[in-house]
Amino acid sequence: MLPVPPRKPLALLAAGLLTVAAVATAGCGGDAKPAPDATAGPHRGGQVVIGSSTDIGGVNPVILPSAVITSEVIRQLFLPLVEEQPDFKTLKPSLAASWEFSDDHRQLTFHLRPDVLWSDGTPVTANDVAFTYRAWVSPETAFEGAYALEGVERVEVLDAATVRFDFSEPYSTQLLDVATGAVILPEHAWGALPFSEWRNQADWFLDHLVSNGPFRLASWTPQQQIVLERNPFFYDQPLPYLDRVVVRVVPEQANQLTQLLSGQLDYVLQLSPDDLPQVEANPDTRLIAYWTTGYNGLGWNLSRPPLDEVRVRRALTLGIDRSTLVESIWGPYGRVLATPIPPDVWAHHPDIAPLPYDPDAARRLLQESGWVDADGDGVRDQGGRRLSLRLLTNAGNQQREDALVLIQQQLARIGVEARPEVLEFNSMVEKAYAGDFDGLLMGWTLPTTFDFRFAFHSSEADGGANVIGYRNPEMDELLEAIRAQPNLHDAAPLLARFQSLLHEQQPYTFLWQSQRLVGVRNRVHDARPNHLNNLFNLRQWWVDPSN
Amino acid sequence: MGRYLLRRLAASLLLLWLVVTLTFLLVHAAPGSPARVLGSSNVGTAEQQTRLRHALGLDRPLHEQYLSWLAAALRGDWGVSQSQGRPVRRMIAEALPNTLLLAVAATFVEYAFALPLGMWAARRHGSAVDHALNAGSLVLYSIPPFWLAIMAILLFARLWPLLPPSHMFSPGAEEWSAAARLGDLARHLLLPATVLGLTVGGGTLRYVRNQLLEVLQRDYVRTARAKGLSERRVVIVHGLRNAAAPLLQLLGINLPALLNGVLILEVVFSWPGLGRVTFDAISARDLPVVLATTTLAAALVVAGNLAADLALAFADPRVRRP
Repeated sequence: MLPVPPRKPLALLAAGLLTVAAVATAGCGGDAKPAPDATAGPHRGGQVVIGSSTDIGGVNPVILPSAVITSEVIRQLFLPLVEEQPDFKTLKPSLAASWEFSDDHRQLTFHLRPDVLWSDGTPVTANDVAFTYRAWVSPETAFEGAYALEGVERVEVLDAATVRFDFSEPYSTQLLDVATGAVILPEHAWGALPFSEWRNQADWFLDHLVSNGPFRLASWTPQQQIVLERNPFFYDQPLPYLDRVVVRVVPEQANQLTQLLSGQLDYVLQLSPDDLPQVEANPDTRLIAYWTTGYNGLGWNLSRPPLDEVRVRRALTLGIDRSTLVESIWGPYGRVLATPIPPDVWAHHPDIAPLPYDPDAARRLLQESGWVDADGDGVRDQGGRRLSLRLLTNAGNQQREDALVLIQQQLARIGVEARPEVLEFNSMVEKAYAGDFDGLLMGWTLPTTFDFRFAFHSSEADGGANVIGYRNPEMDELLEAIRAQPNLHDAAPLLARFQSLLHEQQPYTFLWQSQRLVGVRNRVHDARPNHLNNLFNLRQWWVDPSN
Repeated sequence: MGRYLLRRLAASLLLLWLVVTLTFLLVHAAPGSPARVLGSSNVGTAEQQTRLRHALGLDRPLHEQYLSWLAAALRGDWGVSQSQGRPVRRMIAEALPNTLLLAVAATFVEYAFALPLGMWAARRHGSAVDHALNAGSLVLYSIPPFWLAIMAILLFARLWPLLPPSHMFSPGAEEWSAAARLGDLARHLLLPATVLGLTVGGGTLRYVRNQLLEVLQRDYVRTARAKGLSERRVVIVHGLRNAAAPLLQLLGINLPALLNGVLILEVVFSWPGLGRVTFDAISARDLPVVLATTTLAAALVVAGNLAADLALAFADPRVRRP
């Protein structure tokens, strides 16, 4: 299943529901139906049972793909230096009480809290940070986030509570890359195993597990359940209210819904829009819906004529009735996107609206570029070639499959033949990288670093995630300039230009952003999941006393 | 008998080797690689892919990977899961007993209803009962197991919440007494075992009926009837005993269907067995795990058939003469 790390450039989203799950929200969402009045305020005790489609796979984040539930659980066990907040702006001290940049912005010094202990009583020190960095960048561990640390030249331990990262040059995501993107690991417990053995002995880390987060691992039964319990030594007050959190692995979606409705599960990470009437009709359950920062779009293969023509791509966008499509697939839980940065994120370009649905304009543009239906079969042609496009998506994501069918009908009205192909996820990825498609309907995650080089820089067009083959010198310069800003918020004008360039050129027909639909039993209070973490404030959750 | 045994054994091993080699090639030929699946969140970095491929040993030539895997497997070393970094042997050791438990319980259910009903249909062959049972078994035989599973969950877990629809134990059961845990396990086993037993049992019912029918038309049965034995005794002692050998053989023949059903039902019922391990491994293109579970399943099927044939050969001397 697709790893979608907490903060990663453009993670390809996997088999639908399961991984649309991983994507994020732009800030706030709200309960569609408020929790019935909590008679008492937060109080300690009880347990919550969470349903997840996937298992965690292990406890060492360096060797694990950061799949949906894995990241969530890891972040209950281990703390990062700094905790990112869902508004894309605020940073909250975690292991690091404070941090500062040198004047040339090439050195970043963290001052650690002195009072954080590992679960065996050993203090968390700067040595743990340096050890974790070595693990991240070791070729032997092959950490999937290693690319984000390429700008770091070295890490120096100044004293037990002070550690400095030296960078080769200033760039916008220095702090996010080293402090929020991944968690700090215990050197005294895990340093004993050579990096070369890490990928061969995952269970070793389980046997030598010490942690420092709000919860600790009580037990893990592979394919069955993960049990977390309150970490009584957690540094921050108040300690978690819940005694235990049980994550039950239930791969079958219908089974998850059944267990939510009948009370065996308290919290289901991802519902399908079809499930909602039952959740809403049940007096004991409610829905929490929030915007994710995952965005779905139809990427055009720009190396294949006539898709290399802006005019043709605009015609295709104008010819797809995105409002109707999103309305019929998502109802109120989706909206049409014009750019990859959704509306409630600060970097969103406020003046860009999605192109209208205008089949007449679409027909005109196609006519102008020489595509006419000469043989009268309903499909435009030019020089004996029919305007016929192979559109790919992955199986297992009902929304994308439905969308392709609607798009096929809509494009037929402007004389374009679409041939949808629904492939197993890995097969689709393989074809995407091989450039073996005309259009590719897929989902990406908005990186909170706003580093879009992976999707749109020409250097990533051969073998990289820029599978559509987008090459534009102005775009390259823009992306590099955004990256080079020491303060990301100064990049707002550049990010605006980035979005208008995409809007002009339509390398993607952006389709929708959707809400994540979480099902909750009413006995659970104060759950506030967000795009960074579906169990974001787990330490603040509390439950009604069981009768 | 010795030569027959040797010949069958050699054929079985050859078959096993073919299955394993084919699986190896198929997994390699399938689109996607474990490195890509593992590293697809940072798909942009080709260097990361290279590192991962090297760390997983995927950059070696195919024949080298094959030979080293085969040599290790023959020594009993199944390697390490590429997606989880856990020893495959340990993953199988965790999952196999659960699968066997489900399979045995399902087989019990299968025979518990297929034997008596098959006998009933044979005794009343041509009657309305026989026709009804025939139709019923055909329906069961044709229903996809996952559909029946979902219906069972909707009925017995949602509409009438009588039984747990997933897992082997309730949350918190690890703190209960052994007796309470056993009861909990039995409750959790009921739905998946019944569904699996029913879907496999449809065919068994018909087989039992037909075998018995054939036996019941033999001369010795007519003799037994002529002696004035009760019909019950005729069917059970003279009929069933003589139909026993082919029924034994059916156990082996049914094994693939059983394993197939287990694979699907383990996913639907969150049962932590080999099917789940295999299913996840296929999605992750986790070669060592796919190879190990396939080999194991193939070995089970081959061994099951071999045992069934040997049992038949033992019971019926005509079989072991070429």
